[in-house]
Amino acid sequence: MEKEIIKIGLPRALLYYRYRVLWRTFFQELGMETVVSAPTDHAILERGTALAIDEACLSLKIYLGHVAALVGQCDYILVPRVSNFGRHRAMCTRFESTPDLARNVFRNSGQKFLSYEVDQEMQKTGEEDAFVEMGKSLGCTAKAARKAYKVAKKAELSHHKERVQRYEQQYKKDGMKVLIAAHSYVAEDPYMGRMVSDYLKKAGVIPVRADMVDREAALKRGRDLSPTCKWEISREILGGIAMHKEDVDGIILLSAFPCGPDAMVNELITRRVKGVPILNLVLDSQSGTAGVETRLESFIDIIRFQEGKL
Amino acid sequence: MAEVKKRSVSFPRYAEYSCAFKYIVEQALGCRYVMPPALTKRTMELGTKYSPDFVCTPFKTILGSMIESLEAGADTLLMTHGLCRLGYYGELLEQILRDLGYQFDFINLSDYDMSKKKEYIRILRRFDPKVNYARFLVQFMEGLRMVEYVDEVTGEYYKNCGFDATDGQYKRAYQDFLTAMYTAQNRGDVEAGYRAVKRSLQSIPLDKPQRPLRVGIVGEFYTAMDAFSNLEVEQKLADMGVEIHRWMNVTNQFLRYGSGQKNLRVKIQDLSVYDMGPTSTANIWYARECAERGYDGLIHIKSAACTPEIDVMPVLQNISADYKIPVLYLTYDAQTSDVGLMTRLEAFYDMIDMRKKVL
Repeated sequence: MEKEIIKIGLPRALLYYRYRVLWRTFFQELGMETVVSAPTDHAILERGTALAIDEACLSLKIYLGHVAALVGQCDYILVPRVSNFGRHRAMCTRFESTPDLARNVFRNSGQKFLSYEVDQEMQKTGEEDAFVEMGKSLGCTAKAARKAYKVAKKAELSHHKERVQRYEQQYKKDGMKVLIAAHSYVAEDPYMGRMVSDYLKKAGVIPVRADMVDREAALKRGRDLSPTCKWEISREILGGIAMHKEDVDGIILLSAFPCGPDAMVNELITRRVKGVPILNLVLDSQSGTAGVETRLESFIDIIRFQEGKL
Repeated sequence: MAEVKKRSVSFPRYAEYSCAFKYIVEQALGCRYVMPPALTKRTMELGTKYSPDFVCTPFKTILGSMIESLEAGADTLLMTHGLCRLGYYGELLEQILRDLGYQFDFINLSDYDMSKKKEYIRILRRFDPKVNYARFLVQFMEGLRMVEYVDEVTGEYYKNCGFDATDGQYKRAYQDFLTAMYTAQNRGDVEAGYRAVKRSLQSIPLDKPQRPLRVGIVGEFYTAMDAFSNLEVEQKLADMGVEIHRWMNVTNQFLRYGSGQKNLRVKIQDLSVYDMGPTSTANIWYARECAERGYDGLIHIKSAACTPEIDVMPVLQNISADYKIPVLYLTYDAQTSDVGLMTRLEAFYDMIDMRKKVL
């Protein structure tokens, strides 16, 4: 008798942008299928907004829209709990709550969820052990799961390295360069950061990404800028700014309303990073792009004016 | 030899715990304690003016309170670490205060790895390089005992104060107790104050119906417990004739359970498999507990933009649906008004009162 292939749903939001290669490879290695929700569109945003508590951040609203799109389309939807990788290496508490949040929001849907827990500080579980546990819960052997994780992690790291190298090339190009400091799920979402980078390209500006740097080096450099910054991704972004602020003409602090870590870290950046124009841009769920474009246009003008090119 | 100048230490005002901070700073650390002035509208205005817009409200309250402490003569500010954004408060508070031009010494617990015992010694030495650890520990434990007394008495007070049959003796007894704690110099004072209030609270006649309205309070660790920040929601509701029950306090969250709330999670496995945030497990457990005990309503209290508590809300909505228990969700920001809150509380009271009569 043929065994049914397990189908895992991956919502195209939040940690997907950080871990897509890791997740896809891991499940592929274990002989499972993955299905990814379609890129964010208006319907996904609307649906997520209706499902979320009003005050939740735009990123979570979009996330819930993606989960809703996958309900009934797969055996499991992957919603991990990623709390921290150690001291001062935490994620926003929202990444602790998402598995239970999704279970509660979709409890009448009959959909099954799959999770893994990374909590180095409290539970002493690192990523590898978490993936092994998850593999076991899907009926794989610990050995197979560990092997799949190792392959997947390697793929993830080399993918990130490639992207970093591509971005490093951008710094060598001629022309105005603007550093976008944002979480990857903000920077790469078509309904959030993508419209910013698209606009910049159209205006002849080269967008570069603060988080597209060697992560370990960035974590260390981030500490110089903010010694007690407790969020892993914020520290990477801080590190990216520290490493590249001399190479760019301006920095855009791009954040989804009302991002908890960004509300504080971006305030600190504007107070500590001097000598380069900074735009603090907060995106909310408004449907038009005119407001954002106006602000970007004036920011580019300010840079040109300061550089005597206007 | 000239005497070394004592530090004048201040810690942000927080519920009625300032008495214990004062006791610990003065008795255990041998420093002077600068009591932050009572929180007022001015505190909030100061805090809001200099804070980033969408930081959670306690940050704004604490920033305002720290400015007022510095104005009151503090030269050393202490800030805690924490599991949510609270853990980053310290660094940003210090930066904002320094940018404003204030001069002070800042002891930020987030600078230290609080899982290591020797770090505590480093912290203590900053207060007093010649600190006597044995003495410190004894006095510190007495300060914690004061915290336990304050929590116990406060719980008893809000459960009964709405049914005081006298001309306000119940409230006066509670306030006398707080005064005793704020002025205590030694263990004898603490114990005497506690005994006195226990005696009076038990002897003051109450006029309580056989089945009073009971409301459980859950929510964020700062706003749910700090009467100024929640506009005295507990007192307001109690005054309408309601028993107020709140599990959340320093004693229950830290002294009894510490970081291991595994046993609380046993009963809520179907609602939450993991910790969803620093206080989620306790809040979900207690909300279900209140629902199972047949309480008439729940109030969920949080500051605007409190991420962990926003994420607890879908679970509370499910508890509300499962047990048919009404939940009032209150979000406080720097603009929340007394009048608006009163209207919502009155409507909530009318609703739970009517339900009780019908059901």
